[in-house]
Amino acid sequence: MFDRDIWAEIFHSIKKNKLRTFLTGFSVAWGIFILVLLLASVNGMKNGFTSQFNDDATNSIFISPAVTTKPYAGFEAGRKIKFTNEDLKYIQGNFTEEVEYITPRFRKGVTAKYKKETGTYSVRGVATDHQYIEKTIIDNGRYINENDVVKKLKVAVIGNMIKADLFPNENPIGKTFIMNNSTYQIVGVFSDKGNEREERIIYVPVSTMQRLYKNTDQVSQIILTYNPKYSYAEAINFSDVLEIVLKRKHKVAPDDQGAIYLNNNAEGFSDVSNFTTMLTFISIGVGLLILLAGIVGIGNILVFIIKERTKEIGIRKALGAKPSQIINLVLLESIFITTISGAGGMLFAMGLVSLIAKVLPKSPAFADPSVNITTVIIAGIILVVSGVVAGLIPAIRAANVKPIVALRSD
Amino acid sequence: MIKIEKLHKSYPIGKDKLHVLKGIDLHIKEGEFVSIMGSSGSGKSTLLNIVGLLDIHDEGNYFLNGQLIKDLNEKKAAILRNKFLGFVFQSFNLISYKTALENVALPLYYKGINRKERLKVALDYLDKVGLKDWANHLPNELSGGQKQRVAIARALVTKPKVVLADEPTGALDSTTTDSVMDLLKDINDEGMTVFVITHEEEVAEQTKRIVRLKDGVIISDELTKTAKAV
Repeated sequence: MFDRDIWAEIFHSIKKNKLRTFLTGFSVAWGIFILVLLLASVNGMKNGFTSQFNDDATNSIFISPAVTTKPYAGFEAGRKIKFTNEDLKYIQGNFTEEVEYITPRFRKGVTAKYKKETGTYSVRGVATDHQYIEKTIIDNGRYINENDVVKKLKVAVIGNMIKADLFPNENPIGKTFIMNNSTYQIVGVFSDKGNEREERIIYVPVSTMQRLYKNTDQVSQIILTYNPKYSYAEAINFSDVLEIVLKRKHKVAPDDQGAIYLNNNAEGFSDVSNFTTMLTFISIGVGLLILLAGIVGIGNILVFIIKERTKEIGIRKALGAKPSQIINLVLLESIFITTISGAGGMLFAMGLVSLIAKVLPKSPAFADPSVNITTVIIAGIILVVSGVVAGLIPAIRAANVKPIVALRSD
Repeated sequence: MIKIEKLHKSYPIGKDKLHVLKGIDLHIKEGEFVSIMGSSGSGKSTLLNIVGLLDIHDEGNYFLNGQLIKDLNEKKAAILRNKFLGFVFQSFNLISYKTALENVALPLYYKGINRKERLKVALDYLDKVGLKDWANHLPNELSGGQKQRVAIARALVTKPKVVLADEPTGALDSTTTDSVMDLLKDINDEGMTVFVITHEEEVAEQTKRIVRLKDGVIISDELTKTAKAV
């Protein structure tokens, strides 16, 4: 197979039919080019969709209390549901397996003041887990820690935009500022991938806030992330169970859709991933069809070449070439053309994809188009197989050429 | 070396059959220099094709080197051709994009001999036909006589038992014809069985035995003056 002579023959035949070889190679290269490009585009769309959720942990569930819409267990409709620290402990205690991170959120609007600068911001009382759920990036200093929460310290972590507003020319770490007539010490500055609004938020320990607001034990929201090993189906099942349990606990009618909101990212993700999987299949299908056209082209041209080389094949047979040796010759030629031109198309497509990724700005619909190594390997296998398929019929036909018939054809 | 008994061959033409060989009996011993004479349509080419394992006979027996030729598949035929037979054709049938040396070396390639050895042996044979200096020329750079000598070198390179020549001088002028025939004579003198097909009386005269074919049967089989003179 790796005989120098066979390759010499193949190169000769290619050289002799430059245009034909080029056209054939081009159709295969084109097929692979489209296939890779399609897959990369789907990847880009997938990445675009995923990045929309990327602001928060992708496995997060937001639970918010609201108002009952149905009378139940002796209560009238219109009752306001309230979550407290106890609800948090209850979930923590009963779903140790299912829950990865969990935090309460206590939310208020405040006016913050430092020296002459003031601004109105939203403040969130949180526990330490909140950092992982919100994917808060600490640029400077630290986040709220356990000690802050237990000792109800008046410490705050401020967003980048607040730093720009209140501390334009200063390092805010260690400084104190006034928020609703209380003094807080800044321990950290953060940024968030979500958007600028997320960076106009102040985080303080939930316990500190609760004490300042009339020593309440209420929380505005409970946020948790489920076990990251869960599939979408398992995640959705878990959030369903959670909803039932919480409704029972707060004496809400099981069919009351309004009283407790559970916002599970998994549901959205499940849809998006179904959608992109479908898209992947469609693009593979279209790409393969285009590739098929290339393969038919290569087969066609090889049949033609064989016809032209009938006499030569006859001579070879008269000199003692076995049918298998003739098949080898023709098959290797087609594999060679498909592999080289396909690899060319693949490289070109990959180059184009990385160029697009650099030039094109990230958008919610399209980000970081890329081809993964599996795609490349699969495309490679498809190439070699298609080379074999394209060469097989002409090769068998060549092997069946009767030497006398071949020698007679002048 | 070649033994043929009651050989029949016919080709289908539409619904009819064209009966080309009608019971040929022929025995050629090792070292003979035989020519088959006949006009076109006499069946001489068909006979050569069957002897050369390029075609299959319908009836009768064919022994090549004592081996009965029967139910050959392509692969076996290829191996036998490579081992026992060397071909020389009227139209030379050199591969146009290979040099003289590569053309001569090709049968050795199918014999499975490595490249270095092949080219060495091929060069020896080119030398033997007087074309050593032309080894790296392509066929279209050679004259007709030179091409045929390359083809003869190619036929000899595997040391076959029989050289089959189909109108070897058909495309050559009289001077080159003589030189090609002299070459074949030399080969025969070295002990090789040579089997020539021709329709030229002068060519046949230079062999040692003439078998005349007409309408698919042998009409005469006699030794030539050349043979008697020896």
